[in-house]
Amino acid sequence: MSEAQRVPEGIVDLLAGYQALPGHYDELMGADGQPRPAWRNLLHDFARMGREQRRGAGYTAEGLLREHDVAYIAADGDSKRPWHLDVFPLLLEPDDWQQLCSGLVQRSRLLNAIVADVYGPQQLLKSGALPAPAIFANPDFIPNCNGYKARDGEFVQFLAFDLGRAEDGSWWVLSQRTESPAGIGYALENRIVTSRSIPDQFNAHNLHRLAGFFRSFADHFAHIGDQHLSVVLTGGPDQEDYFEHALIGRYLGYPVVESADLTVRDSRVFLKTLEGLERVDLIVRRIASEHCDPLELRATPGLGIAGLLQAARSGNVVVANAIGSGVVESPALQAFLPALAETLLGEPLQLPGIATWWCGDHAAREHVLNHADQLSLRHAFGRRRLLSAGAHEFSLSDPDLADKAALEAAMAMRPQDFVGIERMNLSTVPCLMPEGYLRPVPMVMRVYVAATDKGYRVMPGGLVKVSGQDLGTGVHVSKDVWVLSHEEIERETLIKPLRAATLKRSDRDLPSKTADDLFWLGRYFERSDGSVRMLRSLFLHLAGEASFGNVPVALNILTGLMVSLGRVSPRSARRAVAAGYRGVEHEIWSILFDPESADSLSKVLGNVARTADQVRERLSSDTWRIIERLTSVPKLRWRVNSVGDAVNVLNDLIDAQSAVNGLIHENMTRGYGWRLLDIGRRLERARFSIRIMRELLVRTDRDDPGVLGMQLELADSLITYRSRYKAEPQIPAVLDLILADDTNPRSLIFQLTEIKAHMTVMPLEELDGHLSQAQRLLIGMHTEVVLADVDKLASVTSRNGKRTHLNRLLNRTEEGLEMLTDLITQTYFSHSIGHRITGNVLRSKPEDAL
Amino acid sequence: MLYEVRHETRFEYQWPVSISHQLLKLRPRRCVRQNVLESKLILHPQPAVQREWIDYYGNAVEFMTVQGAHSELVVTNLSRVEVLPGMNIMLDLSPSWEVVAKTMRNPTHTEALTACQYCFESPFVKLHPEIRDFALASFVPGRPLLAAVMALTSTIFEEFKYQGGVTDVYTPVLEVLKLRKGVCQDFAHFQIACLRALGLPARYVSGYLLTHPAPGQPKLTGADESHAWLSVWCPELGWIDFDPTNNLIPNLEHVTVAWGRDYGDVSPVSGFIFGGGRHEVAVAVDVTPVVAGFNP
Repeated sequence: MSEAQRVPEGIVDLLAGYQALPGHYDELMGADGQPRPAWRNLLHDFARMGREQRRGAGYTAEGLLREHDVAYIAADGDSKRPWHLDVFPLLLEPDDWQQLCSGLVQRSRLLNAIVADVYGPQQLLKSGALPAPAIFANPDFIPNCNGYKARDGEFVQFLAFDLGRAEDGSWWVLSQRTESPAGIGYALENRIVTSRSIPDQFNAHNLHRLAGFFRSFADHFAHIGDQHLSVVLTGGPDQEDYFEHALIGRYLGYPVVESADLTVRDSRVFLKTLEGLERVDLIVRRIASEHCDPLELRATPGLGIAGLLQAARSGNVVVANAIGSGVVESPALQAFLPALAETLLGEPLQLPGIATWWCGDHAAREHVLNHADQLSLRHAFGRRRLLSAGAHEFSLSDPDLADKAALEAAMAMRPQDFVGIERMNLSTVPCLMPEGYLRPVPMVMRVYVAATDKGYRVMPGGLVKVSGQDLGTGVHVSKDVWVLSHEEIERETLIKPLRAATLKRSDRDLPSKTADDLFWLGRYFERSDGSVRMLRSLFLHLAGEASFGNVPVALNILTGLMVSLGRVSPRSARRAVAAGYRGVEHEIWSILFDPESADSLSKVLGNVARTADQVRERLSSDTWRIIERLTSVPKLRWRVNSVGDAVNVLNDLIDAQSAVNGLIHENMTRGYGWRLLDIGRRLERARFSIRIMRELLVRTDRDDPGVLGMQLELADSLITYRSRYKAEPQIPAVLDLILADDTNPRSLIFQLTEIKAHMTVMPLEELDGHLSQAQRLLIGMHTEVVLADVDKLASVTSRNGKRTHLNRLLNRTEEGLEMLTDLITQTYFSHSIGHRITGNVLRSKPEDAL
Repeated sequence: MLYEVRHETRFEYQWPVSISHQLLKLRPRRCVRQNVLESKLILHPQPAVQREWIDYYGNAVEFMTVQGAHSELVVTNLSRVEVLPGMNIMLDLSPSWEVVAKTMRNPTHTEALTACQYCFESPFVKLHPEIRDFALASFVPGRPLLAAVMALTSTIFEEFKYQGGVTDVYTPVLEVLKLRKGVCQDFAHFQIACLRALGLPARYVSGYLLTHPAPGQPKLTGADESHAWLSVWCPELGWIDFDPTNNLIPNLEHVTVAWGRDYGDVSPVSGFIFGGGRHEVAVAVDVTPVVAGFNP
C-alpha cells in the first residue's frame, strides 16, 4: 500500500497541489514530503469539514471581524481598511516554542539594558562596544530623557519581535519594537475570532491560552501603579492602531485617555475628571515619544502633556514604555547585539538576528554598496511601520533608496543612516485559499513580550502576517498562532476583563473630555433625529402621502424650518420650492448624501459617527453595531432614485435611531456619562421643538389644521393627539400637548423636567447647600413653562397677527437653554488646549543697535 | 572683561492664564572662555514649582510652573560674567578636516565622544547635498579644519545678507541657502549644517554680544538682544567658536549662555500655557561692561 493511499480523501482535496517552495522551510510539510505529526489532527479536522464548511468558517470569521469593527488605518491614508484573518492557524510545537521563548526573554533583557545605558552612564558608547553614531544619529534617541531613573531599572515593559524561520528550521529576529509595539490587540482578536469560527478544532487542540500572559502583565502594572490611577494614553481614533488602545484599556481596566485629558501640576500628572483632578501614577504610552511633552519635545500641536518629562524625571509617574525607548528599534543595532549580550549579560546571544550591515561602519558600507542588488536597503532610523505586511514587504528596499545614484549621494553625507539587510527565504505556512485548498506562502510572525513580576514573559501565541503579494490576491492576511503543549492546559477565557476593578458604582473619574464627547453625542443623535423627521415629512408631503393631509404652504414651511435650523442651505431650499416636486427629487441626492454639502444628512450622521468613535469603549457592542448601521446609511445612496426610495431610507434611519435610543436607555449605567448624553439630547430636542413652534404656531396666518397636523407629526405626537381628542387639531390643545404636558416625552416641559433632574445629581452643582447657577436657571425656565396659561398663549396676539405671549415664552426659553449649555460646558468640559510660547527675540549685527 | 547682563522677558496675556510651565535656559554657563561670578533669576509671579538641573548638554535649566491665574509673567536673569581673552589660534596648524571627520566615525576618548553628538542631523538642522556642495567650496581636500571653517564663516558673511523678518525660528536651513538672507540664528544653523554634512562636529551657541552705541550717542537701556553663533570641535584644541553673522572668532565681546545641537536645545525661555488668548512678548537685554575706563 503506497503512502498516498493511506491519506483520507478529504486531505487529498485539502492538499491538492500543495508544493513546498524550494529553498524554504515549510511549517506543515516535513522534508519527507509528509505533514509533520503536530499538524495531522488539524488537517484531518479541516478535511472532514469539506469545502463548503471551510468556506463557511471563513465567512463566520469575516462577519465577526466586521461586527467587532476590527480595522487598521492604512499608513498611506486615513481610510480604515478591514482586517483579514485566515482561520487556518499556524501550529508551533512545544520544544520549538520553548527555545524561542528563552531567546526572546534574553533579547528583551538585553534591549532593556541597552536603553538603560544609553540614557544613563553611556558605558557602551565610551567603550566603543556600541559605536556612538548608531545612537547619536538616531532621532529616536531623546537626549532630554538622559538621567530618567526607571523603577527597578525597567525601561521597556512591552516589546514585540518580528521573526522569520530560515530554511534549516532555525528562527531569526527580523526586527524589534520597543517604542510602543503594535498588534497585540489584533493577535487577541484573531484568537477570539478563530476560536469562534472553528470551535471544535480549537477545543480539540491542547494549546496555550493567552489569558495567563495578560493577567501576569496586568498584575505587574498593578504593582507599578499601585497608589493612584493608571491610564492608557492614546493619540485618538485617528491613530493607526487605536482599535487596540481601547481593547488594552478594557483588559487592564484603565481609562483610555488623550493628551488633553491629562495635566501636570506640582510635577505630578493628573487626569481631569468631572469632579476635578485625579492623580495618575502609571501611563501606558501609546503615542510616540517625541509627542509626549510639548514643553521639552517636538510634540505635534494638540499632542503631549506639558511637563510630563519633568514629572517622569522626578519619579512621580511611570511611563511604560519609558519615553525614548524606541532608540533600540533601529536595525543598525542588530550587528552589535551578540557582543553586547556578552558585555551586558555575560551570556552568548541565543536567538540570532538577521544579517545586517550598518553603513556607519566603513567595511560594512563597502559591502552594502558592492552587494546592493542582493540586499534590502533601508533607512536605519525613524521609518517604522506599525505592522509590516508580510514576507514580500520585508524583503523590499525603502523606495527612495532604489536609485543607486541617490543612495551613493546620501551615503557620502550620512552613511550611518542606512543599513543593508540580507534577503532571507522565509518559511512558508499553509494558507486556506478561497477555493478551499491549502497553499504554502512565506510568512512573518510577530510575537510579544511583557515585563511581569517574575521577569519578562512571552505571550504564548502571536500574529502571523502573510502578504497579499505573496498570496497572489493582493489582500494581506493574518493568522492565529497555536502554541501546543505537552501538559494539559487549563481552559481560560479571555472574554472577560482580567482585572475586576475594585467595586465602584459611580463614574466620578470620567475624563472631562469623554464627558464632553458624550454630551455632544447626545446632541448629534437628536440633531440627526430632527433632520430625519423633517426630511420624511417633506418627502411624504411631496409624495402626497402626508398623514397631516394636504397643506399648500407645507413646502414653504418645511424648507423655511430646515433653513432656519441650518440643515439646508437657502439656495437648495429656493431651488426645491421653485421647481416643486421634480425639483426636490433632483435635490434629494444632495440633501441626503452629498458629503461636500455642509448641511446634508450625511454630514450630520458623520458627526454622530465621529463622536461615537471617540467614546467607543463606553458603548455596548450592540449599541456600536447599530450606530455603525445608522451612520453607514449614506453609503446606500445607490438605493435612492426617487422620493419613495428616500422615504424608505429615512424610515430605516428612524428605526435605527429608535434602536440606539432604546439600547442606551436600557444598557447604559446611570452614571454622569449617561446623564450628560441625555442632557445633550434633551437640550437639542427642546431647541428643536421651540424652533418648530416658532415657525408654525406663532403666526396666526398659518392657522390651519394641516399645519397643526404637521407640527404634531414633527413632534412625533400626532397619534397621541388623535387618540386623545379624536378631532381636527386645535391650537390650545396642540400647545398643551407639545408644550405643557409633562406626560408627553416629546413636550418642552418634559425635556426641562428631565434636565432639571439630571442637574440635581451632577457633581459640582452643590455648593454648601446653595443652588448652582445652572440649577437656578433651570428652575426659572421650568416654572415659567409650568405656569404658562395655554389659552392665553393661543389667544393673545399682536396687531400683525403674532402670538406675542407664546413668542416671548419661546424666545426666553431658548435663551435660557443657550446659557445652560454654556454653563455646562464651562463647569464640566474646561479642558482647554494649551499652546507654546517663547521669549525668543534674536539679535543681530552690531550696527543694528545703532 | 567683566560684564553685567540683564535679560528680561515679559509676557502679557489678553486673558488670565490658569497654568504656565516654563523651561528657562538663562544662566550663563561656565566654560573655558568665561567665569560666571553671579547669576540670579527673578520671577514674577512666584512659581508654585521651581526645579533646577543640568541638562544633557551641561546647561543650567530651570523648570517652573505658575499655577494661579495670572495675566503677566516676567522672567529676569541678572548675571555677572567674566569673559577671558581667547588663546591665539593658528588656524593653519589644525589637522585636516578629513582626519577630524574620520575620528567622529568611531570616537573612543571622552572628548571626541561628546563631540560626536553634534555630528548629525537634528530637528532644526537638516542635511542636504546642496548644503554639502556649498561647504565643499571651502573644504578643499587636505585643508586644515579651522582654516576651512574660517573660510566658510567668511563666505557666509559675504554671500548672505543680514535681514530680519524674512525668516523665523522654523525656517529650514535649505530655505536659508536659497534666500541667502536671515538673522544670526539662521546663519549659525546653516553653517552647522554645512559642517555636519561633512561629518564634522558643530554645536549651536546662544549668548549675548556687546553692542556699541553710535559715536556720541548714549547706550540705550534694553537695546541689546540675544545672539547665536556656533562652535566647532578640533582635536587637541577643543571647541572653537565662530560667528558667521560678524565674520569673526568670538573673543572678549561674546557672552556664552548655553549650547546644544541647535536652537531647540537652548531656547532661553520656552513655555506652555493654558488660557491667555493672544499674548505679547517683550524681551530686553542689557550687556554692560563693568570695568572702569573700558573703551571699545
